[in-house]
Amino acid sequence: MATRSMFLRILWKLLGASRGRLTLALVALSSGAAICSALLIVNLDAGRKLTQEFRTLGANVVIAPSSAGGDAALADAGIMDLISGLRFAQITAAAPYLYVAARSGTQPLILAGTRFDDVARMNSWWKVDGSWITSADDREHCLVGSAVARQLGLAPGGKVEFRSGEHNVSLTVAGIVTTGGAEDNQVFTRLDVAQELAGLPGKLSLVQVSVSGSAAEIEAVTKRLAGELPGLEVRPVRQIAAAEGMILGRIRGLIFWTIALILILSMLGVLASMAALAMERTRDVGLMKALGGSIPRIMNLFLAEAGTLGVLGGTIGFLIGIVLARWIGGRVFGVAISPRFEVFPVTVALTVIVALAGALPLRLLGSVRPAEILRGEG
Amino acid sequence: MNPLVQVERLEKSFGEVRALDRVTFNVEAGEWIAIMGPSGSGKTTLVNILGGLETPTGGRVVVDGQDISNLSEKELTRYRSEKIGFVFQQFHLVPYLTAVENVMLAQYFHSITDEREAAEALQHVGLGDRLDHLPSQLSGGEQQRVAIARALINHPKLILADEPTGNLDEANEAVILDLMRKLHKAGNTILVVTHSQTIGNLADRRVEFEHGRLARIGAPSLAKE
Repeated sequence: MATRSMFLRILWKLLGASRGRLTLALVALSSGAAICSALLIVNLDAGRKLTQEFRTLGANVVIAPSSAGGDAALADAGIMDLISGLRFAQITAAAPYLYVAARSGTQPLILAGTRFDDVARMNSWWKVDGSWITSADDREHCLVGSAVARQLGLAPGGKVEFRSGEHNVSLTVAGIVTTGGAEDNQVFTRLDVAQELAGLPGKLSLVQVSVSGSAAEIEAVTKRLAGELPGLEVRPVRQIAAAEGMILGRIRGLIFWTIALILILSMLGVLASMAALAMERTRDVGLMKALGGSIPRIMNLFLAEAGTLGVLGGTIGFLIGIVLARWIGGRVFGVAISPRFEVFPVTVALTVIVALAGALPLRLLGSVRPAEILRGEG
Repeated sequence: MNPLVQVERLEKSFGEVRALDRVTFNVEAGEWIAIMGPSGSGKTTLVNILGGLETPTGGRVVVDGQDISNLSEKELTRYRSEKIGFVFQQFHLVPYLTAVENVMLAQYFHSITDEREAAEALQHVGLGDRLDHLPSQLSGGEQQRVAIARALINHPKLILADEPTGNLDEANEAVILDLMRKLHKAGNTILVVTHSQTIGNLADRRVEFEHGRLARIGAPSLAKE
């Protein structure tokens, strides 16, 4: 007990004796730890935030009837209840679609019946000239793709009539949709309007689903959905999943290598301070060895000193890192990053490792020969 | 009864330079020996070998029945902490530890620390009121007294002092000499490297070196002749 207390007493004195050099080492460790913890927090939180953002960029899973053909090519609208009943946390939105081949005058076009609130949740990036259809009960309005609007000379507020077989419907244009994709060639109405026009009540062509998470998580949800929905084909939109995975992977790679580089730079900073400190301590180590101090016992003092610096630097760095992560999140990703306390032990552990590696010059003091250090004349 | 220290045909070379050349002498327990001679004659090398800080290149050294000539680094460390008390010319106190902590440092490397015992050791050398002073707050003589207290704290078999008064003024030299006299009286075995005739005269015997060889050995009276 007395020996342990003496160990702590010497350690405390060591820390106080070289305040200047240790402060420099602490600054190097804290700055490195701050950037590392900020990047780790960003890595964890931005990854989650980005996958959420990705989910506003459209569906990444499609559920459709098996392509076996015939009437089976149309699904029952009841599958929407089945999907919501599964309560998968990763499913952020699911939008049913019934595609109807229709005409406006002599112009053939595709009319898509859907649920506008689900479509809005999944496709917030759609550019709409005019207004979106916000009421779920709105049977009077439609959204028209920009290419169709150009061909038919339609503008918001204009009237348009659609015919399919024996049925027809007259709607008012609420807005013109531009997506740069297939949607520009379609007209969007409430689902039951399209079902009535096609004479296919209760039927769907497909369901577009937005699933959050990594490519692997999306794949797992896809498999579970396929298991729960027999007779339906559940397939991920691979290009989107792969692109999202690639972006996340690259961001994570960038963060990993930046952290590695920062840690090396911090270690070099610590190394410089410790090299100067080792020069100052040569005589003390020679004396301690002369007094019968074993190399492990002396080195334990210096390693404890470096470890203490590491813990202190890691803690200070983590606190600064929280603020830094918030700033990076806002400036770079445009999202508010929340503190992630699981990063704290990782930051402290990394900083302690860097501090111990940077204390190499102190460890080399173990080879000091006391007779040379304490030599008088003679 | 065997002598406390037996030095037999001791040799030490640093490259081509022979610092000690076939040195042989004994030291009895409780003796005060003055090691004297001109600079570069091998006095400090001898003390370093006796203190386990250097290993000889030839010959044999036995201290308290233990042959230290071929000990490993680990064994030498143990030997230093258990059997030797060092007093250096430059005092060599740890600057960021207080007087009492400097004494406790020797206890720490030996076994366990006892602050009360360390404080008593400082009181014995007249520094009872300086326990919590840093070396920089002490005079040279006071620092050397702390070093003596540190050397004695583990009750060593042999006290090795290398020019203990070399950096002190006359008044402080007198204090240190008085202390050494008391240590000698108390039965301690002391081996002092010195240029000081005063110390040479106080010692039981002088061992004089020239060019790494033992030039003369005997009582102070003989040396004077």
